[in-house]
Amino acid sequence: MSVFVDIAPDEPQVGSPAPVASTGKWRGILTRAALPLLSVVVFFIVWQLVATLGIWNQTFVPYPSTVWQAFIDVSTTHDGVRGYAGYLLWEHLYMTLRRVLVGVVIGVVLGVLLGLVMGSVSWVRSVLEPWLTFLRALPPLAYFFLLVIWLGIDEAPKITLLALAALPPAAVATTAAVVAAPVGLQEAARALGASRTEVIRDVVVPSALPETFTGIRLAVGMAYSSVVAAELFNGIPGIGGLVKDASNYNNTPVVLVGIFAIGISGLVIDGLLRAIERRAVPWRGKI
Amino acid sequence: MRFKSVFAALAVATMALAGCSVDQPGQDADKPTIRIGYQTFPSGDLVVKNNRWLEEALPDYNIKWVKFDSGADVNTAFIAKELDFGALGSSPVARGLSAPLNIPYKVALVLDVAGDNEALVARDGTGIDTIAQLKGKRVATPFASTAHYSLLAALAQNGLSPSDVQLIDLQPQAILAAWDRGDIDAAYTWLPTLDDLRKSGKDLITSRQLAKDGKPTLDLGVVSDQFANEHPDIVDVWRQQEARALTLIKDDPAAAAKAVAAEIGLSPEQTEGQIKQGVFLTPEQVGSPEWLGSDGKPGNIAVNLQSASQFLADQKQIPSAASLETFQDAIYTKGLPGVLSQ
Repeated sequence: MSVFVDIAPDEPQVGSPAPVASTGKWRGILTRAALPLLSVVVFFIVWQLVATLGIWNQTFVPYPSTVWQAFIDVSTTHDGVRGYAGYLLWEHLYMTLRRVLVGVVIGVVLGVLLGLVMGSVSWVRSVLEPWLTFLRALPPLAYFFLLVIWLGIDEAPKITLLALAALPPAAVATTAAVVAAPVGLQEAARALGASRTEVIRDVVVPSALPETFTGIRLAVGMAYSSVVAAELFNGIPGIGGLVKDASNYNNTPVVLVGIFAIGISGLVIDGLLRAIERRAVPWRGKI
Repeated sequence: MRFKSVFAALAVATMALAGCSVDQPGQDADKPTIRIGYQTFPSGDLVVKNNRWLEEALPDYNIKWVKFDSGADVNTAFIAKELDFGALGSSPVARGLSAPLNIPYKVALVLDVAGDNEALVARDGTGIDTIAQLKGKRVATPFASTAHYSLLAALAQNGLSPSDVQLIDLQPQAILAAWDRGDIDAAYTWLPTLDDLRKSGKDLITSRQLAKDGKPTLDLGVVSDQFANEHPDIVDVWRQQEARALTLIKDDPAAAAKAVAAEIGLSPEQTEGQIKQGVFLTPEQVGSPEWLGSDGKPGNIAVNLQSASQFLADQKQIPSAASLETFQDAIYTKGLPGVLSQ
C-alpha cells in the first residue's frame, strides 16, 4: 500500500467563503476525479495492447480478460470448487484484514504510548531509540521464522509480525511530534498553573496528534505491505497466502487478482484513515 | 555544476561496483555461455557441478550454474529464456508442459526418484497408525511440491479427499517447529527434516511405496527446445556427464556424497544417508521403457507426467490436463539408450 506522506494538501474546503471562479472549481473536480480515472483507463489500454502484441509470454502478461476470469473464479463457486483453495476472495480478504486490524491496533497503541514516553522523557528515548531503529531496519521475512518457532503456526505469529511492523513508524512519528511540541505553549500553560500531566494532556498531545496520524498511516502501510510475509506459513485463508500459493503454481492471473485486492483495499483503508484524520485533527497545520 | 559532478561520481561508482560483482570464476567473455539451473536436493547434478565435469568436458564454453529454491522459479526462468538446462520435480514439469505455460522444454534425464527420503510421518502420541486415521487431523506439507502430490495420492488411496483432513501449507523448517510444538499431527516432507520428525514419529507411507503403487515422484533434468535443436552435441555431453554421476552414486556412494555434501552444506555422512534413502537409476534404467524410453519410443514417464498434470487440473491449478501425446513429445529420447553409456 502506498502512503502519501505529503501532508494531505488541505482539500479545497467545500463551500469555503473564498471566491472561487466556477472554471477553477470545475478544473478542481476534473483533476481530482477525472485524472485518476483517466490514468486507470490508460493503464488498462496499455495492458491490453502489451498482452495482444504477445512480446511476452502469457505467464508474464496475461490478458486483462484472463485476470477478470480469474477474479470471477476466485469470487464464486464454480464446477463444485469454492473460490481459491476452498475460500472465496472476500473470505481471504476478510481474514487478512482482520489480522491487519488486530496487529495494527496492538502495534499502534503500543507505538504511540512508547512515542509519548520517549518524547517526554529523554533518558527513555536514549535507551529505546537504538532498539526501535534496529527493529525498523529488519525485513519481516528475516525474523518471521523465529516467530513461528516461538508462537506456532496459527494466528499468533502473523498478528505479532504485523504488530511489529506497525509499531516503529507509529513510535518514531509520535516521538518526533512530542519533541516538536511548541515550547512556548508548554511554558505558557505551566505559567498559568498547569501540572505536568495537564500540560501533556492539553498541550503536547493535541499538538502532536497531526504528525502521530501520519505515523499511524505509515504504520498501517507497513503492516499492509507485510501481509504476504505474515501469511507465508499456513496463510490460507488469507490474501497473502493466496498470492504465495498461486505464485508457487506459476498461476499469474490469480496472483494479479490478489495484488489488485491488496492494492485496492489498501487505497480504501488509506482513504478512510485520511477521512478520520480530517475529522479528528481539524487543527492540523493551523498551530 | 556541483549537481553534475555528484551525478558523474555516482555513475562512476555504480559502474565500478557493477564491475566487481562477486561472480563465478573462470567466466570468459569470448566463449558462449551455457546456463544451468540447479536445486539443492541430492542428485547427480550436484556431483557434476562440484567435480566441474561439465567445465572439463566443454572447455570451449562458459558454464553458469544458477541456484533455485523451487520448481516454480525454474519454470519462470525458462519462460524468461534465461536457462538452457534445469533441474526440477515432476510436478512443476507437468505444470510447465501443460497449458497455459506450455514451456518449450524437454525432459532429458531422470535425476532421482523419491524413495524413503520423502515420507508421511505421524507424531507419537496422536494415536495415528494408519492413513485412514488422519481424517480430521492437521497434516502439513509444502504446497505445490512433490510431497504435496504424494500426500494427496496417499489420501486418495485410502478413500480420503483433501477436505477430509486439515491440510496446512508449511515449508520443511516450519514443519519441524510446528511438530515440536504439537501444532500438527502428521507431515509429508523430505530429508533432512524428515529424519528429525522420525525421532518422535512413525512412517505411515513413503514415496518408495507410492512409486510401487504407480504414483512416483521424480526429479528431472530438462533442456530448452531451442538449445536442444541448436546444440544436440552439448546435450549429449551433458547427459553423459550426468550418467557418469549416476554411475558414481551407484559404485562409490561415499565419493558422490562428498561432492554433494560440499554443495548442500551437510556432513558427508548425513549426505550419504540421504542418498541411500533416495532412488537413483542406473544409466541403463534411465533409457529403459519404464522411464525415458529409447529413441523414438518415449517411455512410461510420459504417463507419470500426464497423471501429475491431471492432478493439477483436479486441484484447479491448471484449466485442464494436457494429453499423453504432449508429454510423449516432450521426452528427449534422441540417441537413447546408447548415448548414455558412451
